[in-house]
Amino acid sequence: MAASCSTFPFLAQSEFEGACQDLADRCTSAQNIGWSIRLLTKPDGTGLRITKYVDAPSPLEVPALEDLETSQDEDPVCRVLAPRDVSTCPNSSPQEALVRTKPQPSLQIDYDILLSPTYQVPTLYFGLRWDNHGPLGLDEVYQYVVPERYRQELKSVGVMGGISMGYHPDSGAPAFFVHPCNTADAMANIADAQSVTPGSYLLIWLGLVGHCVNLHVPRELFA
Amino acid sequence: MENRVSLSSIQKAVWDGRLPLEIVLASSESRTFDKTDPYLIAYPRISYLPSLLPKLRAFFSNFLIEPNSQSHDGWFEFEGVPLKWHYPVGLLFDLYAGADPASKTARDNESPSDGSSLPWRLIVHFSDWPDDLVRLDADGMVMNDAFINSVKEADFLRNGTAKGIMSLSKEDSSGLWNAVQEVDLLSFQRISSILLPQLSQPFRNVPIRIFLPLPLDAETSSLKVVQSPLPPSIPASSMQSSQMLSSRSGSMMHPQTVGTVLHTLLPNLFPSRRTPVLAKPVLHGAVIPMSAPIEELVRSSAYGDGWAYLVVRMMG
Repeated sequence: MAASCSTFPFLAQSEFEGACQDLADRCTSAQNIGWSIRLLTKPDGTGLRITKYVDAPSPLEVPALEDLETSQDEDPVCRVLAPRDVSTCPNSSPQEALVRTKPQPSLQIDYDILLSPTYQVPTLYFGLRWDNHGPLGLDEVYQYVVPERYRQELKSVGVMGGISMGYHPDSGAPAFFVHPCNTADAMANIADAQSVTPGSYLLIWLGLVGHCVNLHVPRELFA
Repeated sequence: MENRVSLSSIQKAVWDGRLPLEIVLASSESRTFDKTDPYLIAYPRISYLPSLLPKLRAFFSNFLIEPNSQSHDGWFEFEGVPLKWHYPVGLLFDLYAGADPASKTARDNESPSDGSSLPWRLIVHFSDWPDDLVRLDADGMVMNDAFINSVKEADFLRNGTAKGIMSLSKEDSSGLWNAVQEVDLLSFQRISSILLPQLSQPFRNVPIRIFLPLPLDAETSSLKVVQSPLPPSIPASSMQSSQMLSSRSGSMMHPQTVGTVLHTLLPNLFPSRRTPVLAKPVLHGAVIPMSAPIEELVRSSAYGDGWAYLVVRMMG
């Protein structure tokens, strides 16, 4: 039985790092979670990088938003592409591989999970990239990343909504981030201070924050 | 009472601080072969560069190759580095140009070329936005948002909750940003007094960020920033680690100083708590005393967002 969080509803640096390692290990043994994950190691601590691809039209031929929403069912752009490296799938024939790797406009989302030195809670940074296209803006985030049912709610808080533009703490490059200022209160309301471990803290947090930005935690990771 | 008077007089001096700027239009964006006249201004150190863009856009409008560019397309460059607009200009100057900040001893051996960092010469662009800067918008919301986020962080550190800034009325919240933009200290003090704990009530943690010296061959414009929870008081015995044990029972608390912070976080650069040996801390263009208590430092000398941004300068 792992120890509970020493500074709940906050997360200490060492607990956060252990939880990152733990989540990376679970994801490696789980199948078809829809994204890839790796540890980020840096001089002042550890974090996680989750990468996923979503179907989205190329920015050069973007149809009107209404068309997108009415022509497809819920989460129109959130369908996760099959893993790109089909060579690791023993069951796939060369034909299947050809079909799956057919070039299609896909949006790459890199999510970085880092511990906020101010709020002492995990913070979700993310950046968008289209093949051969530079970084994209907040409009594209709401259009392609935030599921429709969260858009109004997210846009209505703060000066510009619950997602801000800032600089990635490590790379210094522009990045989006989900506001961490209410995370501790939210965690205090959801999780049980006595029983929550750093590992379950991180999973609960990811479930809480991730769904707003199209990062869904598969059920099997909670097992 | 005397303490209070001096804290507010320091704050007034900080808000009165101005930097002479000499801004030219990027030659690649100018229709004339000769250099256009520079735009000169004594600009408040606590202000942000994008606030100058409407005036600059108007000043250079006859020379722009691309007449359709907007003022929010504007960005600033110093010696090839695109300047991160969400930092106050005083911090940017201390980071990139304040090679030898004002101090009496430095004045004596000053060579004529040393004086050339003033006025600070910047280049303004209105096209080719660089990938490593967050884009501005026409309504100034991106800037406002960045400022408020920074205010929230400072508030969270001081109180341990974000409830202060969240409970600020919408009017006061935008009033705080307006007061900083207009360098209106009285309005600023009225609103920030709602946020700041009373003098009798110490901060939980003190909002300070420390910027490390940039390597000479820096290929990225990424800055190395150190931040850690900094309580305003520390057990007296932690000044002498050999006496750690005695701090467990009824320890004496001492004010945490700039020197104790730097020595704890950056022991290689600051081997002593009392004397700068290899490097010195700079704030608002001045070398600050190692003995300054950090809570007083922030109460008197924070930027408009509530943070003290210390720049570490190598000596010698």
